Amino acid sequence: MSVTSDGEPGRIGLLEAIRRQGKEWDVLAPRYGVTNPNPPWKTSLIGTNEGLAAGGALPALERRKAEDELGDAVYRDVPAPERELLALVHTMLSRGLLAEGELAARMRAVRSRLEEA
Amino acid sequence: MSTGHKHDGDHHDHDHEHPAAPMVEEITDYEVLEIAVRELAIEHGLFTAEDHRRFTEWAESIGPINGSRLVAKAWKDPAFKALVLEDGVKACKEGLGLDWAEPTGFGTPSDYTNFIVLEDTPTLHHVIVCTLCSCYPRPILGMSPEWYRTTNYRRRLVRWPREVLAEFGLILPPEVEIRVEDSNQKCRFMVLPVQPKGTENWTEEQLAAIVTRDCMIGVALPRPGRTADVHPIHKARRPVQASAQHGSAAE
Repeated sequence: MSVTSDGEPGRIGLLEAIRRQGKEWDVLAPRYGVTNPNPPWKTSLIGTNEGLAAGGALPALERRKAEDELGDAVYRDVPAPERELLALVHTMLSRGLLAEGELAARMRAVRSRLEEA
Repeated sequence: MSTGHKHDGDHHDHDHEHPAAPMVEEITDYEVLEIAVRELAIEHGLFTAEDHRRFTEWAESIGPINGSRLVAKAWKDPAFKALVLEDGVKACKEGLGLDWAEPTGFGTPSDYTNFIVLEDTPTLHHVIVCTLCSCYPRPILGMSPEWYRTTNYRRRLVRWPREVLAEFGLILPPEVEIRVEDSNQKCRFMVLPVQPKGTENWTEEQLAAIVTRDCMIGVALPRPGRTADVHPIHKARRPVQASAQHGSAAE
């Protein structure tokens, strides 16, 4: 996990920008009259978590421990499914499994693809 | 639009006469982030698209019904109950056809295949938790409830079990001992509740219906007339007299 000089988990610009938008499912769902308790990407996130653990890239216990720590220190005000996603990505970036620049570029490409559809 | 389904030979009109279910009609960065991370992980060789599909399919297909069936069967069949208490994984496979080794052949990385069923008695009540994280017997109970993963539940249950159970509406008499079982990296637990009086002649199907998820976590007890869908509703004791107040304001 990335830490600041005082030992606290650091914040990541890309993820902070997403969080500041306030587009969590529990805000959006009632706005559109949707009653599903979880966003549609939630089970896909489970598949990613399991895939990372199965291949040995990020063991489940280490992911969960990091999620607890980041959930307390950085993402305390984010509701559950989004907190789980942000904590996972935060952990992957901190461990070098992903780079922030490549992730930002891929997000732009994915958004462009979705908006064309 | 709204001409309804037509199935006249080889013509198939996809118009629907019922309104479309509401959807969140915007693309959030959370949705984009989840896709981007998954794609990059696959490209970096951390897992494959097929692995991801299989784990996602598994996560969407599990639920607590197998746990309910296990309890009902154990109540009806003493020999099966003995097997359940001796070897939970074997009982699942032999009694329900539920294989803890799915979907990979060795389980999921997050669900260890050591499964212990805790038997309640009239003087002993079990309740499960994972103080470390969110370990839960997913192959037999499905995904854990949101509250199970909260620090409120995880930290407080082990300190004040009687009080936390009361917050769920489960008030146990002082003579009933409460045992909190803390799931760990190697073990998954589930509660086998006491069969309620008056259900002795029920079928397995009837019994399974009253064994809800929360009964198998240990924050509720099975009771006739209470299923996941049906339970008596308590009327508010002192409702605000909204209509009277509005009436007087309008006068």
